[in-house]
Amino acid sequence: MSQPTQDDQIKHAIESDPIDRILASEEPILPSSGFLASVMERVQGESRAPAPIPFPWKRAVPGILLATGTFGWGAYEFIREAIPSLRGLETTQPQLTTALPVPIEHAAWIAFALAISLLSWKLSRRLSGQS
Amino acid sequence: MNVESLSTTGVPAVPPPDSDAADVQRVLAGDVQAFEGIVRRWQGPLVNMAWRYCRDRSRAEEMAQEAFLRAWRGLSQWRQEASFSTWLFALAANVFRSELKRFPTVNVPIEDISEPSASATQHDDFATKTNNETLRRAVLALPQRYREPLVLFYFHEMDVGAAARTMGLPEGTLKARLSRARALLKKRFPKLSRPCAISEIIPARTGKEVQG
Repeated sequence: MSQPTQDDQIKHAIESDPIDRILASEEPILPSSGFLASVMERVQGESRAPAPIPFPWKRAVPGILLATGTFGWGAYEFIREAIPSLRGLETTQPQLTTALPVPIEHAAWIAFALAISLLSWKLSRRLSGQS
Repeated sequence: MNVESLSTTGVPAVPPPDSDAADVQRVLAGDVQAFEGIVRRWQGPLVNMAWRYCRDRSRAEEMAQEAFLRAWRGLSQWRQEASFSTWLFALAANVFRSELKRFPTVNVPIEDISEPSASATQHDDFATKTNNETLRRAVLALPQRYREPLVLFYFHEMDVGAAARTMGLPEGTLKARLSRARALLKKRFPKLSRPCAISEIIPARTGKEVQG
């Protein structure tokens, strides 16, 4: 007597398991008559559409480098200034006489920051073609 | 799904072996119209696969259309190491999964689905069809983790390997999830666990088209 094949085993499983029997016996549906045409219409539409505009890396790279450099330098300066100030926070008492030149120095920094902002604004307008 | 089974979905039973590869080459060379051959051959399987994911005819066609469009865009990514059908089904499964995540089908929890009545007999065609449809819809109420393996297993005519390839899972993982899914269904439909219940619930195949 021959051994049951895998197909026989599957058939037996289907016949003995109602869930398999129901779920495996589903009648297929047919695509609607206009399905092929509508798929091809969308495909044709996509093929006719112009290729997406590539990002203007050549024009953007100088701006990105400038912004990265500025932020990097700013972060470096901030940390350089902040660490000694934090260390001296507990021990140093504020002295009004030595603090007098500080506002002038701050004004210079503010002017510098404004200049950088203006430069960034001009650059961004130029990149977007509005200059 | 193997090639022979395509005949049940309204497409040629045995397409020429290299027809997909040839059409893909033509499309990649710029012949957009060659994609029609691919759609013609695979529209049946893809619409049926989508139907099993959502059981809504118009939505199934929308999802299948989206899958064809993604296939069109990514045709150059088919490496020809796997068969075209394996690549297409895996892509379609991804599309269907994400579409159903964005707009889930309205399903009742599996606990709220009542078990089909045992009064249906082979002569009561309408009742048996309704009962079977209840079970099929209950599949959609399973947790996603178990639902998809079950859907793909029966779509691929109980071929574990094909279902695993479509999902990109090892066969062992798929088998484990399949087993859990069937256990959940059997727990919900205890009458179906008894072989003697077959005559109560299973009809002879009617050969009529499924209503969308």
